[in-house]
Amino acid sequence: MALLTVRDVRIRDGVTEREIVHGVSFTLTPGKVVGIVGESGSGKTLTCRAVLGILPEHFTVSGGEITLDGRDVTTLTGREWTALRGTTIGAVFQDPASYLNPSLTVGSQVAEVVRVKKGYGRRAARERAVELLGAVRLRDPGRVYRQYPHELSGGMLQRVLIAAAVAAEPRILVADEATTALDVTVQAEILDLLADLRERTGLALVVVSHDLAVVARLCDEVLVLRDGETVEQGPVERILYAPEHEYTRLLIAEHEQYGLDRYLAGTRELDHAA
Amino acid sequence: MTGHLRRAAGVLVRSVAIFVPVFLVASFVTFALRSLSGLSPANLQLGESATPEAVARIEHQWGLDRPFLTQYLDWFGDLLAGDLGQSWYNGAEISRLLAEGAVISLSVAGLALLIGVVFGFGFGVLAALRRTTWVDRAITGGMTVISVMPSFVVGIALVAVFAVGLGWFPSAGYAPTERGFGVWLAHITLPALALSFDTVSDVARQLRAGLVAAYRENYVTGAIVRGLSPRRVFFRHVLRNGIGPALAVLGLKFPNLLGGAVVTEAIFGMPGFGQFAAGSAQRGDVPAVQGVLVVSIVLVVVFNLVVNVVLARVAPASARGV
Amino acid sequence: MVRRVLGLTSGRIAIGILVTVGLLAAVGPLIAPHDPLAGTTDILASPSSRHPLGTDYLGRDVLSRLLDGSRVSVLGAVQVALIALVVGVVPGILSVYLGRAFEWATLRLADTLIALPFLVFAVAVTALLGNGIPQAMFVVGVMVSPLFYRVARAATLSVARSPYVEAAVVAGASVGWVVRRHVWVKVLPPIAVALANTTGVGFVVVASLTFLGIGVRPPAPTWGGVLAADLGYLSFRPWAPLAPTVLIMATVWACNLLADAIRDVTGEAGRALLDARRVRAGREA
Repeated sequence: MALLTVRDVRIRDGVTEREIVHGVSFTLTPGKVVGIVGESGSGKTLTCRAVLGILPEHFTVSGGEITLDGRDVTTLTGREWTALRGTTIGAVFQDPASYLNPSLTVGSQVAEVVRVKKGYGRRAARERAVELLGAVRLRDPGRVYRQYPHELSGGMLQRVLIAAAVAAEPRILVADEATTALDVTVQAEILDLLADLRERTGLALVVVSHDLAVVARLCDEVLVLRDGETVEQGPVERILYAPEHEYTRLLIAEHEQYGLDRYLAGTRELDHAA
Repeated sequence: MTGHLRRAAGVLVRSVAIFVPVFLVASFVTFALRSLSGLSPANLQLGESATPEAVARIEHQWGLDRPFLTQYLDWFGDLLAGDLGQSWYNGAEISRLLAEGAVISLSVAGLALLIGVVFGFGFGVLAALRRTTWVDRAITGGMTVISVMPSFVVGIALVAVFAVGLGWFPSAGYAPTERGFGVWLAHITLPALALSFDTVSDVARQLRAGLVAAYRENYVTGAIVRGLSPRRVFFRHVLRNGIGPALAVLGLKFPNLLGGAVVTEAIFGMPGFGQFAAGSAQRGDVPAVQGVLVVSIVLVVVFNLVVNVVLARVAPASARGV
Repeated sequence: MVRRVLGLTSGRIAIGILVTVGLLAAVGPLIAPHDPLAGTTDILASPSSRHPLGTDYLGRDVLSRLLDGSRVSVLGAVQVALIALVVGVVPGILSVYLGRAFEWATLRLADTLIALPFLVFAVAVTALLGNGIPQAMFVVGVMVSPLFYRVARAATLSVARSPYVEAAVVAGASVGWVVRRHVWVKVLPPIAVALANTTGVGFVVVASLTFLGIGVRPPAPTWGGVLAADLGYLSFRPWAPLAPTVLIMATVWACNLLADAIRDVTGEAGRALLDARRVRAGREA
């Protein structure tokens, strides 16, 4: 019972009249986590936006099929999309501060989702929002509720956004470079949070990143994209430990080469040699 | 809720702190005008035939031979108590003369502001919602055309077409509300319309720019992705943040509105504030002119204060200068 | 920059109109068909080959009056713009470098000036001090200068805090050198935009003042004065205000068009003028 089916999706830029994404496919079932890895310009963000129905103005899905909750997304009207978003599929992005309205308290923005999508009354929504803020492991959620985005750190803001994204209990969450702009320790905490949500609620995730470590931590299946092409695709263990394609091997090798472990191992060697 | 009140009070205090020196400096300069002008009530009352003794006597009567600072402090003190002195021309209480004129001018300016806000807002929103379509281009073009029309040009055109030509509106004069609401409205509509053009175009342009910029922000994507309807996204997120520049420009426009009133009142023959200012200036009635200037300053300051507070409440991000 | 502006159609139109008006101001009185002050018995006449724009209530040729009056308008408008420029730009740039006290004082002064209705003040000052248009333009120029102050300050701030300028300062460059080399280039485009807009405002102010009959001694011809005269005799010649109106409006429109063209050509730099938020940032700073 697939939640989301992406089949040979192609995305075209109407301005340059070129195809940017050439056939991406994957399937999401409850609790499954799919990772999309690639460098900038590989088409991973466009794919996410297509699945959410928020492609930029001159981009269109020129081929293939996206089936969300059993429905072909190309048949959806604006109103139907609005109904689906938040309740079936949610998303968090990079740079959490910019995704919140700077003129409203963060709590009211979470409560807004609860009120509008779940029909709660004012006070009930407020209470539920504080609950959600606690569920994403924010300390003193009541206080955070009343604060404005500029008063919170990146990690806290991303938690708020996750709270807002899952407030209407969607079955899918798209995380597009969600941890990229955060400190390393905070990154780990956010990833733990997402893993936890998946275990407790069966949330399916689409995790997009250029960082292999993120992908390794969470994903079941991985797609490697380069210039809009799926270069390799398969279970995470195979991709990371027995990559077949040259590009995948390059990515992994560079990750290892510039990784901290290697550096530490290297300096130890030097110490020995001296 | 108390958070909001505290913040509003903070903005109020800050704005007052900025405008108090404004008021002090401006009122001082206003007062100094008399010495600079070298005019005295003697010019008005005696004309050419003044002998030096007569001039000195009159000046003494008006207390004009006292040291400058004494005069200033006296005047300022009276000012704070609401007493604007007496006219050199006819000895009447300036406060009263101004009050009579102010009712007229404020009616016109008030209606102009209303028209400006309503239409400016409407056009701005429409242009932003239909951006890059022909609606947007038409409105933007229209606003550009309107913005270059000085209020007195518009006033004359309106009089020529609607009053003299079509006879739909009276061409001059003011009718107090006692004579009926419809009559009152008929008299102030054309001048208010003329005054409002400037405001309409600026508000529309700033609002459109602010809204278009807000739409490009990530928090709009965030709101959309959470499944909020376009309408809600517009009102609660886009408008709230995009309205900043438009409100700011409203505050800046108000002095222009007052200035424009001076000329429009001349065109429409309305015995308002502006007419009083121009007339007093031409007669050399210094205290009257000083009174006018002080009242203008106060009006502008108060108006800006109100705009600042509203801005802080509605869009704290803008007010922070973010 | 001038070349790039001329590259735009709007720029060409704007400059074309302004150059024409400038020429009118310079040679207008010389090419006027009749003496602008000479009254004839042919009053309130319709346009004819003798009087292309008709005559006014004293029988004076309207065309000649307008041509003669362009001098006052152009000089006045240019004066406002230049005074506002000088009074505003220098403190604006310096406010970034001369320390907190200077910055605070000039910011408050700018706030003061911009809060005042300049037309009311101009009327008051001109009439009271019994002077002419040039003095009134001086007052207006000073009162409008905060615009230049803020534009110059915003542009300077954006450059002064940029890494490459900081590097230059660390390497030992003096304030003067930094200003000349880096700040000036960044500051020039928005100033040009402000200059164009202010000139437009200047034309409106001159027209308003002369319309009210303040600052000029009749029977000297001015655009506003002709308009005012037309108003009194609207029922006789209802189309009469058209000529001075078109003249005034075309000139103001050309100024604004020029401002827009400069802004388009120099990109984001010109936005400092219209971006009210940046103005606020300058105020809060």
